Amino acid sequence: MKKSLLGFVLAVFTVCSVAAQSRTVSGTVTSAEEPEGVPGVNVRVKGTTVGTITDIDGSYSIEVPEDGNTLVFSFVGFLTQEIGIGNQSTIDVLLEPDVKTLGEVVVVGYGTQERRELTGSVSSIDNRAIENLVTPSFDQQLAGRAPGVNVTTPGGVLGQAPVIRIRGVNSITSDANPLIVIDGVPVVNADRAANFPSNPLAQINPADIESFEVLKDGSATAIFGSRAANGVILITTKKGIEGRAQVDYNVSVGWNEEVDRFDLLNGDQFVTIANEKRSNAGLGDLAQPGVNTDWQDYIFRKGLVTQHNLSIRGGSADTKYFFSLGYTDQEGYIRANELTRYSLRANVDHNVSNRVRIGTNMSFSFTEIESLNNGENSLSGATYNVTRAFPNIEIKDPSNTFYDGFNTTPDGAALGRGPNLGNIDNNIPNIGFVLANNVFRGRTARLLGNVFGEWDIFPDLTFRTQFGGDMTFADEFLSWDARHGDGRGNAGLMLQAYRPVYRWNQQNTLNYQAILGESHNLNVTVGAEFQYTNQHFYSATGTQIADVFFQQSNIVTGSAGVQQIGGGMDEQGFDSYFARVNYSFDGRYLLSASVRNDGISALPVDNRRGTFVGGSVGWRISDEGFFNSALISDFKVRASYAEVGNTEIGFFPYVGGFSAALSGLGPGIGFNQIANPNLQWETSRKLNAGLDFTVGNVTVAADYFRNDIRDLVLERITASSFGVPQNRIFENVGAMVNQGVELRVMAGIIERDNFSWNTDFNFTWLHNEVTNLISPITTTFNRTEVGGPIAQLYGYEWFGVNSANGNPIYVKGDGSLVQYNLEQDNTGWRAYNENNPGDISQTATGLGGGDLRILGNTLPRWQGGWTNQFVIGNFDAEIFFRYSGGNYIMNETRRGQLGMGFSNNNAEILSRWTESGQVTDVPKLYTGQDANIWAAGAANSRFVEKGDFLRIQNIVLGYRIPADWLDQTFNGGIRSVRIFGQVQNPLIFTNYTGVDPELNTFPGSQLQFGVDWNSAPIIRTWSFGLNVGF
Amino acid sequence: MKIIKQRNILTAAISALLLFGSCDVTDQSPVTLVPEEEAFADAGKVLGNILGVYDAAQRGFYLGAPDRGYPFGAASIQQGDMRSGDMYNDQLFYEITYIGGWTPSTANQEGMWIGTYRLINRINVVLEGLQTALANGVIDQEEHDSYRAEMLFLRAFSHWQLVTDFARPYADNPSGNLGVPYRDIPISNTERLDQAADVGRGTVEEVYTRILQDLDEAEQLGTEAGIPFRASRSAAIAFKTRVKLHQLDWAGVLEEAAKLTNFELAATPMAPFDSPDGNPESIFSLNNTAESNPGVNGALPAMYGNPALGGRGLVKISPLIWNEPFWLEEDLRRTELTTSSPDGYYTGKYTGYINRDDPAPLIRYAEVVLNTAEAHARLGDEATALTLLNSVRDRSTPEGTPSYDAGALPDGVIQGIWNEKRVEFLAEGLWWYDIHRLSGMGELPGIPPKAASRSISSIEQYEPGASITLDHSVPYSSHLFVWPIPLQEIVNNPLLAGQQNPGY
Repeated sequence: MKKSLLGFVLAVFTVCSVAAQSRTVSGTVTSAEEPEGVPGVNVRVKGTTVGTITDIDGSYSIEVPEDGNTLVFSFVGFLTQEIGIGNQSTIDVLLEPDVKTLGEVVVVGYGTQERRELTGSVSSIDNRAIENLVTPSFDQQLAGRAPGVNVTTPGGVLGQAPVIRIRGVNSITSDANPLIVIDGVPVVNADRAANFPSNPLAQINPADIESFEVLKDGSATAIFGSRAANGVILITTKKGIEGRAQVDYNVSVGWNEEVDRFDLLNGDQFVTIANEKRSNAGLGDLAQPGVNTDWQDYIFRKGLVTQHNLSIRGGSADTKYFFSLGYTDQEGYIRANELTRYSLRANVDHNVSNRVRIGTNMSFSFTEIESLNNGENSLSGATYNVTRAFPNIEIKDPSNTFYDGFNTTPDGAALGRGPNLGNIDNNIPNIGFVLANNVFRGRTARLLGNVFGEWDIFPDLTFRTQFGGDMTFADEFLSWDARHGDGRGNAGLMLQAYRPVYRWNQQNTLNYQAILGESHNLNVTVGAEFQYTNQHFYSATGTQIADVFFQQSNIVTGSAGVQQIGGGMDEQGFDSYFARVNYSFDGRYLLSASVRNDGISALPVDNRRGTFVGGSVGWRISDEGFFNSALISDFKVRASYAEVGNTEIGFFPYVGGFSAALSGLGPGIGFNQIANPNLQWETSRKLNAGLDFTVGNVTVAADYFRNDIRDLVLERITASSFGVPQNRIFENVGAMVNQGVELRVMAGIIERDNFSWNTDFNFTWLHNEVTNLISPITTTFNRTEVGGPIAQLYGYEWFGVNSANGNPIYVKGDGSLVQYNLEQDNTGWRAYNENNPGDISQTATGLGGGDLRILGNTLPRWQGGWTNQFVIGNFDAEIFFRYSGGNYIMNETRRGQLGMGFSNNNAEILSRWTESGQVTDVPKLYTGQDANIWAAGAANSRFVEKGDFLRIQNIVLGYRIPADWLDQTFNGGIRSVRIFGQVQNPLIFTNYTGVDPELNTFPGSQLQFGVDWNSAPIIRTWSFGLNVGF
Repeated sequence: MKIIKQRNILTAAISALLLFGSCDVTDQSPVTLVPEEEAFADAGKVLGNILGVYDAAQRGFYLGAPDRGYPFGAASIQQGDMRSGDMYNDQLFYEITYIGGWTPSTANQEGMWIGTYRLINRINVVLEGLQTALANGVIDQEEHDSYRAEMLFLRAFSHWQLVTDFARPYADNPSGNLGVPYRDIPISNTERLDQAADVGRGTVEEVYTRILQDLDEAEQLGTEAGIPFRASRSAAIAFKTRVKLHQLDWAGVLEEAAKLTNFELAATPMAPFDSPDGNPESIFSLNNTAESNPGVNGALPAMYGNPALGGRGLVKISPLIWNEPFWLEEDLRRTELTTSSPDGYYTGKYTGYINRDDPAPLIRYAEVVLNTAEAHARLGDEATALTLLNSVRDRSTPEGTPSYDAGALPDGVIQGIWNEKRVEFLAEGLWWYDIHRLSGMGELPGIPPKAASRSISSIEQYEPGASITLDHSVPYSSHLFVWPIPLQEIVNNPLLAGQQNPGY
């Protein structure tokens, strides 16, 4: 199938011949795979515009001008060959496959296109650099691989989904994730676990992937119509190839560790600090000297990772297959965290006859995640807890057998006191017990794939039908031990839930491809698509568990004293009719246009259908007669414009209604969503201008883009006193613009027999501006308002510490300075007089709404990646850098770790104010005054930090065992062996004081960005492995 | 001929494109939302809507999700206790309220505001729905009136909570000080959003006028519920004694109290808690069940409960009230309604530590008695006032303890009534309302000094004479005496943005 499509696409390569004094050369082009002849091969007389393509049987005939002496044979996927003509009149050529040119043919929506012919903006990412990495999911490895594609991993709990943004954030309250299409099936990208992160893309085996194409501009995405607002990632899985079966086995082993730790007080320092907080408030000591315990040592570990992939690919001329088995087991660096995946894939292509083809791409996976509570504000949250637990007590208390030997208070209500005279703040539990006994388990089976048939009605007219399905069967189990921690208040809690998602997707297309005259290439696709998605869940929650014994692995009949059920269902339907025309004249003038009419169930009937158009043009200047440059071998300019919609607006945002409401008097119903019958499509107008050129070994692609988003379907926040359910209404109220510049430079810097160096660099500059809103949207830390980028940090401005008395000083909205007086029974806000810092006589109004201000943008303004690959003899190496910056982060983790309660702190607190005249930026300690000292409830400029970084993302070293040695030793039984070692996230250069500038506590919300609040440090992975080919 | 054949095939192929699809996929509707048009279509749904209002009263919004018993399932009681200081805060949960650290963006204050207005809008939606149901013959006039009375009581009750939290007391310039928006139209479509945006805070007096209108109508239309968990005619009357006390309408208090003939004090102070659904004293409570309650992070038994008995113990009894001489050692409210652990003393009023199914007591007859006592005393009838005060106190004191006479109350009968309220309604949040009222009258200086937050870590600190660090007082003159209008309101409501309480 693929081959014939390639043939069609490449038929475009017609170049007219010029009459001159000439002779005729003819011959046949064949390949190992197609010994009967390869159609569509470009044959060109070097140094001229004279050329032709081979016929269906691989034969060609070309008029060679008098000065022509070399023929150039080129075809996608094969090495270009130059053959001297001499006085031959027949030249037969055997093409050799070129492994390096993968990506020359680009998968686009509903078909493929040759990169030469592309007028849209499409970045290809080869999976070869990714497939050997030990990674929970492929998506986080796309970071930095292509311009305009921003991927960040928000934390170090296995299963956390990365945030993927293509060309910026393109929606305010709707989904901003790109559409992900695997082998033509738009997949469901919804996390189906409710109580811990479970990235759905972690259910796909990265080793099955051949390549990624990222469609970025309107023209490329327009064919996906309303689903393309956030860009599209097309994933092609590996397919069979003709020839003897190749068996590949890849194995890796290694470990995960945290990239960094929090710098906390040790036990002795804690005693000093904790008592000082109290004595400053006139209270007696609670902390007493004890041991020095490092809780991070206990909960962090070297998590073992192993990965095995076995694949078989092969086939005959008519039937090709790819089968794979995958297994990975990854332990997180936090105790209890583990991800295990078993996967299976079968891709088969079969020619029923010369004109009919059928095939399937099927995968099944089973993924188990053992997760944990890392809630930013949860008393049992691992990061929250471990950074607060008493460092002057023992973690274990062997005599406390009822609590499995963990140190707790005798009643189990809190972490043990040790020598201290009071309980820990908020009665937080012993995190060791929690991680050992509480279960957060997800088991997900997923069946994803398609079956398709193609029929060449005529040689140039093909009908294709495809039926795809994506079925996720997610089982979630939660168990909170009755004795201690979150389960104690419920005398044990268990929850089990089944949260499946089903989607089917049906596509029918007709493709007409023809060469009219000699130079007009036309490719027309029309089609229809239907899609239905159903997600539902039911859950059973039991509390007052009869015995801890029943809490191990599943809910158990009769074991719960209080039993509750939950459930719900949402459906979405989508249909679409579309057409696309690609036209090129002579390979020089390129044109593409598409139109699509979509309907979606999420909009009211009257506004349900939307029509979206797109088009693009390109001009290959280097093919013009006047363009004559020895230096520049290829030069193309292109421009596009398109309108696309956004279907990711929820299920029924327009419907008004009443939901079930379980009151203390029994089940009732309550007003739960306000209607908006006027809701309509949100549309983006995407403009792109770019150029591609090749100078010597250097290929450059550069783009400018602008995305105007209007009528944003916005969850508009209504005034609280209106009492509107959820304080929101979905309205088309906003507008936003993203614009930017992208650059990608690829070069083979050195190409020698035993040494090569390839480099691939990309850069993106992005500017986001909200251009219309009814009113600013303010969340705890962020504000989105007209004239600025989305989700700027918003909070109070810190001035410093009053060196006279240690009071914190803030700047009011009117520019005046206020200090919070930390004196027993004389606390409160006072004016601060710089000329008389000790004066606390003037009372002042505290911080309020009028004092909040913008403290910095949170979206990186520039970012990119740089890959370098080296081959030295049998050794290979890769070093991959990633960088990003121009953004600010609210380090809420740090603010929390400088808390004034009876619990541990960050070592930064050691520089607190203690005596008059001391200049410091940590105020006088004062128990319980967190809210006033650190201006709670909003961001605070003291904790707003720059997010710029340069990271070494990966370093890979490999060694290929010499082939002749293998041949001699195994008699051809082993084709190839490569051993490798690699490290991911080895090093970062940044001034950010938190553990990582990419941590992001609210990855699911565009309105709350740039907040690092007790996210777990990200993961560093070391691994070693072996690739064996049989 | 060939061209025609090709055309036919092409036509057939295009038809096939469409045939392969199912064309109705876009026609979906939610299965978890009853459509607006059907919400009052039958008597079962009408009753369901009434229960839905109680749900909103019991479990409103806190930080964007229904949680923690806002406004009346637990939170109004906790917030009241934390402001008054008779209950002592030991953890972060209520610290902001306890230490007076609120700002426009603090969550507890916002929770009360959002949760109460969410309840009010549900009430208004139901009031409109009841008219529709009546007009369509789904319910009869009698049912309509009874339901309407419940809703009006709850609307008045909700607005009164807001006006005491977010405005100055009635006793202080009620026609000048700003009240809170009195919402009486259901905000259920986009046009009504615009209408609602035009409603400002009005004055405290205007809010009280509207509250009394609603309560009077509730009294007229209302019926007796038989259980304290549904708003009854008596609840409207009893609540008016509180409202009129705040208006300093002493005669009005007596007038309302006189109408209340079907309630009496229970034999013991334990009865309203031992059998909250069947005692002569509980007039209005919100029911909680194991399945529906403010949760482990909000329920009264969880937050106030003794950790040694399965509670979380975030809030203890303050050593200050514990050692007040007017709270006798042998008082049943001490011996029967408190518990202890080595960390201190806890209330024993809410004991469903695991099920969390204690109802939230909102109006008890004992309050009506003490409200009436104060009204008599204010009008000069100290003898009746003393009798009423003793009726509450004597059931808790051991036999042989003398009743109060005027000589036993050197600070006056009225002071004695306040003291009794503090003991009787400890851990029920009621004393805050009197601090609010009396500070406005100039009879109290504001929020009194409290035992410093998180300073009490041992039961030894409850010994008489133990040194207690005091802190967190808020004088009436401070802007902190009233809560700020929450930031989410200010940024989304231009009218109220201009009506923020001074000082915020």
